[in-house]
Amino acid sequence: MALVNPGFVDAVKQSEAFNASACMNCGVCSAVCPMGIELLPRKLFRYVLLGLEEKVLENTETIYSCLLCKMCEANCPARVHIAENVRFLRSYINKKVFKL
Amino acid sequence: MSDQKRIGVYICHCGGNISDYVDVEGVLRAVQDEPGVVVAKTAMFTCSDATQQEMVRDIREQNLTGLVVASCSPKLHLFTFREVARRAGLNPYQYTQVNIREQCSWAHTGDRAGATEKAIRLVRGGIARTNFTEPLEPITIDTVPKVLVVGAGIAGLRAATGLADLGLSVLLVEKSASAGGKVAGLGKMYPHEKTGREIIARLVDEVKRRENITLFTNAELVEKSGSIGNFRVKIRLGGKQREEIEENAGCIIVATGFDTYRPREGEYGYGIDGVLTLAEYKELLDRCGGGLVRNGKPVKDIVYIYCVGSRQQAGEKPNRYCSRYCCNAAVHASIQSSEASPGIHQFHLFRDMRTYGKFETLYGRARDQGAVFVRYSESEPPAVEKGADGKLKVTVKDLLTFGEQIEIPADVVVLVTGMVPARNEALVDVLKLPVGRDGFFNEIHPKLRPVETVVDGVFICGACQGPKNSAESVASALAAVTQSASILKKGYVELEPLIASVDPGLCELCDVCAGACPYSAIERDHYQGKEVARVNEAVCKGCGGCAPVCPRNAINLKGYTDAQMESMIDAMLKEIG
Repeated sequence: MALVNPGFVDAVKQSEAFNASACMNCGVCSAVCPMGIELLPRKLFRYVLLGLEEKVLENTETIYSCLLCKMCEANCPARVHIAENVRFLRSYINKKVFKL
Repeated sequence: MSDQKRIGVYICHCGGNISDYVDVEGVLRAVQDEPGVVVAKTAMFTCSDATQQEMVRDIREQNLTGLVVASCSPKLHLFTFREVARRAGLNPYQYTQVNIREQCSWAHTGDRAGATEKAIRLVRGGIARTNFTEPLEPITIDTVPKVLVVGAGIAGLRAATGLADLGLSVLLVEKSASAGGKVAGLGKMYPHEKTGREIIARLVDEVKRRENITLFTNAELVEKSGSIGNFRVKIRLGGKQREEIEENAGCIIVATGFDTYRPREGEYGYGIDGVLTLAEYKELLDRCGGGLVRNGKPVKDIVYIYCVGSRQQAGEKPNRYCSRYCCNAAVHASIQSSEASPGIHQFHLFRDMRTYGKFETLYGRARDQGAVFVRYSESEPPAVEKGADGKLKVTVKDLLTFGEQIEIPADVVVLVTGMVPARNEALVDVLKLPVGRDGFFNEIHPKLRPVETVVDGVFICGACQGPKNSAESVASALAAVTQSASILKKGYVELEPLIASVDPGLCELCDVCAGACPYSAIERDHYQGKEVARVNEAVCKGCGGCAPVCPRNAINLKGYTDAQMESMIDAMLKEIG
């Protein structure tokens, strides 16, 4: 059971760097990922939208293994700026977990 | 009489629909020498233009006085071939349709010989009947330029003004104390953001300004007699005196609307404080100008649960239909909530989003504002219970994260409730309205005759017919206006002449026929110094109930006389050669 944390949603919303509201969960991003990362980005973005902070933090390793190659972004039919979203999450984790 | 008839018989293959299971050529051989037959042919499609023209030519050249087509159900092509007869100068009522598709080939796909034999008997019966047909003319009835509209919601009100502007008088009957229906209780509506109250106020004002509309509130239709073009109706007025008035109307439009689904106690937590239906939530939203507040506390987290009372698959008498307005209404409420309280969190738990047409832009706007849509499975619906610190706790399995169980804290849970048919047993009984399996009223044809009912001259519109939003209700109301006007502006209607008639010479007025008539069509008349029964042609439906009970054999059904029925029986029972 994952608890929805409205505070996490607000923190994400405040930044304006993260935007995945157009994501329709089609999975093209996962299909074209050269790293074969299954989680990124569609599942991950759902976690963020839903405010499931613990789920996001559980996947810290995966978030840092992304190459930021933008293959997914170039193929996204909903034009979600995926790489920017991943960068935002890294910045969030840097502050929150690694206290950088 | 029969030896004078010259009959043409056409037997249809219907592509293969008939000939795959009926030996069409065999049927032809078996019937071509029947008494009266001078032309007998088969055709691939009798309804095709080429065959129709061939029939017209045969009727003219062979001086045919009767026509028989053995094809499909008369529901499909009776009028097609009557028209063929008319074009060729033959009286349309000297045409007989024999149904060898639904009744033979389709019903007996496993028995070609049996299906063929049955077809032969049916066609022989049709020929025998045709031997005794007489030319008939449709019954013409003068129409009353007035329409009774039942229900003064958005559909009924708009129908009334539409009819009035076409020069037809309107009796607008509303059961409750005021006009306006459900829309009168609504706040802002998409897309113009005018409130339901404003729209209804404007319509009521339009109604008041038209002298040829009479609005009765606290009133009910209690009796109806007569038929299309000239109904006699009785309206009971409420209030202290409880008087009844009688009026005549040419058509009746039913616009009695819907009821909102009431969740059962405990259904998705209904009954727990903070769990509201969509209608209840919209009232709350309407009351809160800036900032959503409930019971003195700000509302920060809202969960919507969709498809409550709609698209049910299980349970006793489930509502299987989609209520179609609710996705749009809930998304619109979500946008209004965001505007009233920026920064609130809204979670929409849906089964399938159906924001069709232009409403799709609303769905996009709601997501842009930060509303999150979570897809749940019908087999694992969300659960609502009381949570910690006065909040509600909603748990759901999100299909879009591949089955992640999530728990959402909420201040308010909105059950997005659908529409159910309004309970109108008395009206259904008075008007003999056809009720569908889902409880809504049924039209004749969902695509081509969407506002007509099986009762001639009685139309349905708005949400009494099935879930509709207000724009769709008004569109169907105007369709009912057009259908009514197309009958009443002509000034007369033509009815089928296939009805009962009494031979006044034989009748001794025992009144047995009156007791057998389900339509109260038997009236009294004077004939050569005695009282006799007479059939009201406008009311008789030609069911034949009176004919066999008459002890004097004084009643015959035109088109289905005793002589015709007996000859058909004889023809059907004849040995197959």
